[in-house]
Amino acid sequence: MSALPEEASAATLAGLDRMTIGRLTALLAGNAPSAALAMILGEVPPSGLAAKLFDIDGLLATWRRGITQHPPEAMWEACVQRGIGVLLRGGCDYPAQLDLDPAAPAVLFVRGSFTSIMGRRVGVVGTRNATSAGREAATTMGRDLAAAGVHVVSGLARGIDGCAHRGALGIEAASPVGVVASGLDVVYPREHRALWDAVAERGVLVSEAPPGTQPEAHRFPLRNRIIAALSEVLVVVESRETGGSLLTVGEAKLRGVLVMAVPGSVSNRAARGTNDLVRDGCPVATDATDVLVALGLDSRRAGAAIYDPRPRPEGADAAMLGLCREPRTLEQCCLLSGRTLVECAMSLARLEVYGWLHQVNGWYEAIGPSGRGSAQ
Amino acid sequence: MFAAVPSAALLGVQGHPVTVEVHASTGLPGFTVVGLPDEVCREARDRVRAALISSSFGWPNKRMTVNLAPSSQRKVGSGLDLAIAIGVLIADGQIPPGCVEGYGFVGELGLDGSLRAVPGTVSLVAALGAVRPVVASASHREAAVIEGGGVRVGESLRGVVESLLGEAPWPDPPHEPADQPDPAAADLADVHGQVLARLALEVAAAGGHHLLFVGPPGSGKTMLAQRLCGLLPPLTPETALAATMVHSAAGVALPSGGLVTRPPFRAPHHTSSIVALVGGGTASLRPGEISLAHGGVLFMDELGEFAPSVLDGLRQPLEEGVVRVARARANATLPARFLLVAATNPCPCGGGAPGACECDDGARAKYVRRLSGPLLDRFDLRVPVGRPEVDDLLVGTPGESTAVVAARVQAARDLALMRNGCLNSAIPAPLLDTVAPLDAKATKLLRGEMERDLLTGRGYHRVRRVARTVADLDVGSPEVITEEHLVMALSFRVRLSSLRAGRAA
Repeated sequence: MSALPEEASAATLAGLDRMTIGRLTALLAGNAPSAALAMILGEVPPSGLAAKLFDIDGLLATWRRGITQHPPEAMWEACVQRGIGVLLRGGCDYPAQLDLDPAAPAVLFVRGSFTSIMGRRVGVVGTRNATSAGREAATTMGRDLAAAGVHVVSGLARGIDGCAHRGALGIEAASPVGVVASGLDVVYPREHRALWDAVAERGVLVSEAPPGTQPEAHRFPLRNRIIAALSEVLVVVESRETGGSLLTVGEAKLRGVLVMAVPGSVSNRAARGTNDLVRDGCPVATDATDVLVALGLDSRRAGAAIYDPRPRPEGADAAMLGLCREPRTLEQCCLLSGRTLVECAMSLARLEVYGWLHQVNGWYEAIGPSGRGSAQ
Repeated sequence: MFAAVPSAALLGVQGHPVTVEVHASTGLPGFTVVGLPDEVCREARDRVRAALISSSFGWPNKRMTVNLAPSSQRKVGSGLDLAIAIGVLIADGQIPPGCVEGYGFVGELGLDGSLRAVPGTVSLVAALGAVRPVVASASHREAAVIEGGGVRVGESLRGVVESLLGEAPWPDPPHEPADQPDPAAADLADVHGQVLARLALEVAAAGGHHLLFVGPPGSGKTMLAQRLCGLLPPLTPETALAATMVHSAAGVALPSGGLVTRPPFRAPHHTSSIVALVGGGTASLRPGEISLAHGGVLFMDELGEFAPSVLDGLRQPLEEGVVRVARARANATLPARFLLVAATNPCPCGGGAPGACECDDGARAKYVRRLSGPLLDRFDLRVPVGRPEVDDLLVGTPGESTAVVAARVQAARDLALMRNGCLNSAIPAPLLDTVAPLDAKATKLLRGEMERDLLTGRGYHRVRRVARTVADLDVGSPEVITEEHLVMALSFRVRLSSLRAGRAA
C-alpha cells in the first residue's frame, strides 16, 4: 500500500457508502487519507474524532466492506486509466476558490486542470425543461461571457446548463467549468458525452464522486453547492418555482455570491422561478453585458452581433413572428391575428421553412439568431 | 323413427345451415347429442327435456340420438333448441313429419317451454335459405331484416307446434314501436372554437383518413370524435346489412328499423383485451369492437394506454378492412372497415405549452414510445387540440352545424369516388400524379419538407392524399393542388417528439 499515493486512499474513502461530506472532512482532519483508511481497518487506533464516528451503529462494518469491495489499488487504477485526477483539500492543485468555502469538498475528482481557470467565473444555471427562448438566452449568455474571457460554470444537465456550455464552447479560447453529480466516467445525460469531453479538454470537469458513481438524486443538490462556490456571479436563465436551480440560488446567497435572473414572459411556466426572483429584488440580466458590468468588466469587449442569414419576414409574417414570441398553437395564432386558418398556416409554414419557427406537438416557438445549429 | 329439421348455427358473424337429425330406436332409454356440439349446445338435452314436459308433451322412453349435420363442424350456442325439440316430437311420432315441411327453426327454449331470442338471428335466418323461418317473437325485428313478412314467430313450444299442426293460426309479429327519430345526435354546432379540429373532422369524413387528436385533458377530444359519425353519409345497403349481421351476432340491440343504417360509433375502454377488440374466442369467434364499428367510427381514447399487443392487432385490419380470426378448429373472416379516431395526451401530465410540462424525460419518452411508429404512420391526420379559450367557450359564435358540413362531405366523397373509384385515403401511390397533381409552388414546398427530413417517403404519399381531400372540400374543388391545400395538409401532421425539452438545447 505504501507504493500508492495518498490520493488512492482518498478516492476509496470518498466512494464509501454512508460517507457524507461532514464525515469525510472529520476523518481527514489531521489524518492523512492512508492513516484514516488504516484506522477504519483497525490497523491503527482511531484518533478522537474518528473514534466518535466509529461509534455510529454499523458504520465501521459498512466502510470495511466498502474498502474490500473497492480497494485503493483498484480505485487508483480506475482513475489513472480514465485520466481522472484526484485533488486533496490542502494540496497544491486544489482550487483556491473552493478551499475557502465552508462546505468545501475534502476530495475532488477532475478531468482537465484548474490551472487554466485563472479568470473571472460566472455560473449559468436553469431548468432542464426549457423553452426555446430560454435555451436561446442561455446559449447567447454562454457565448458572450466566454467571448469576454469569462469562465462559464455550469452543471452540464439537459436544457439551460447544456446550452450555456455549448454557447461558451462556440468561442475558441473558452475554457468552461463543468460540475457534475455522477462519477466522471458516468456520463449523464448520455447524449451529452461529446459536450463532457469538450469541456474536459478545454476547461475542467469536476465531480465530488469517484469513478463509477451513478447520478443519484441526492447528489445533485451537493453538486449545486460546488457550482455556487465556484461562481462569482450566478445567472439563472429559466427556472420553475420549485426548480433545482433555486437550490443553487440558495447556496449562492449563503456564500454572498451575486445572483442575477433572466426575466421571462409572465405566462411562461418555465420562467416562474426566475420571475419570482426578480420580484423579490434580484438584479436582472437581459444579456451578457449586464453580467459583465456586475463583474466590473469592460463590456465593450463583448463580441459583435453575429450575422443572421435568414430573410427578414415582412408584413403579416412579421406580425405572426411577433405573436410567436411565446409558444402558440395554430388556433391561437388564428384567433389573435384575426386571419383565416389557411392564411395563418401559410404564414407559419413560411416562417418555419426559413428557420424562424419550429413546431413540436402542435406548438410553434420562435428560434433566435444562433439558430437551429445550437437549438437542436 | 327418424326426423330431419332445418336450423342454423353461427360462426363469427356468418350463419351456417345445420340439419338436426333425430333418431329414436329401441334400447336403453337415453339422449345423446353428437356432431361437435359445444357445452351450451350439449346442454340443450336438459332444456329440451324440461320444455317438452312443461309443454305437456310426453318424453319418449326410447334411445334418442341427435346428430347435428354437417357433423365435422363445431356448433355453438342455444339456437338449435327449438329444432331439436321439434325433431324429438316427430321422431317419437307425437306430430306428423309433414307439418314441418318448408320451415326452419331458430330459438332457445326455456324450461317452461317458452321461446327465447338468440344472438345472431340475422345471420342464422339468412343461412336457412329458402325455408320459412320460425323464431322467437323477441327475434322478429332481426329476422325481418332478411325475410321481411315471411317470418313466423312463436311465444312457446306449445304455440309453435299448434300453429304447425294448423290447430291455431300463427301469432302476429309483435307490434314494433314506430321509428323514433335518432336520439338527439350530437351536433357540430355545439363545438366552440377548435377551428383546426373541426376542419380535421371534415377532412377525415370526406377522405376516410384515420385521425389522431393530440392534446391535453379537457380539450374536447372525445366531444369532437363523437361528432364525426354525424358527418358520415348513411351506410350503403351492403354495408348496412354487414353491420347489422355483426351487431346481431354480438348481441347488440338493433335500431328500431331493424337495419343499422347510420354509421356506428364504438368507443372501447383502454383496458379492453385483444379478443374484445379484434374478435375471437375459442369456439364462437364473436365479432370484436372493430367489427362492430364496421362502416362507422372506432374511437380509442388514451391510445397510449391500450396494451401494445392490442394496438399491433389493429394494423392488419386497418390495411385490409377485414379481420381474419383463425383458431385450431375454425376460422372466420369478419368485416372491419372503420374510420379510426384516436386521442392521446402529448405526455403523462397532459403537457400544454412548451416549458409547462412537468414530466421527467424518462416518463415522457416512455409515453410516446408506446405509440409505435408503424401505428402512428397509419394516421393520415395528427391534429393538435388545445383547451379552448374562455372567450370562445362563453361568447364565441357557434360554428357550422353538422348538416351543413355533412353536405360538403357528401359532395367531396361523390367527387372522389367518381375520380378515383375509391376514397382519397385509398388512392394507390402510382395514381397520385394523375388524380392529385401538385402545382409548382406546392411541389417546391414538399421537396423542402423532405430535404429538411421532416417527411418520410410514406408520409409524402399520405400528405398528398390529405391535400387532395382538402382541395376537394375547397370552393370549386380545383383539380390541381395548390400550396394552400398542401400547407393545410401539413398542419395536420403534428410532430410528436419524445424528448421535446429533453433535447439539450
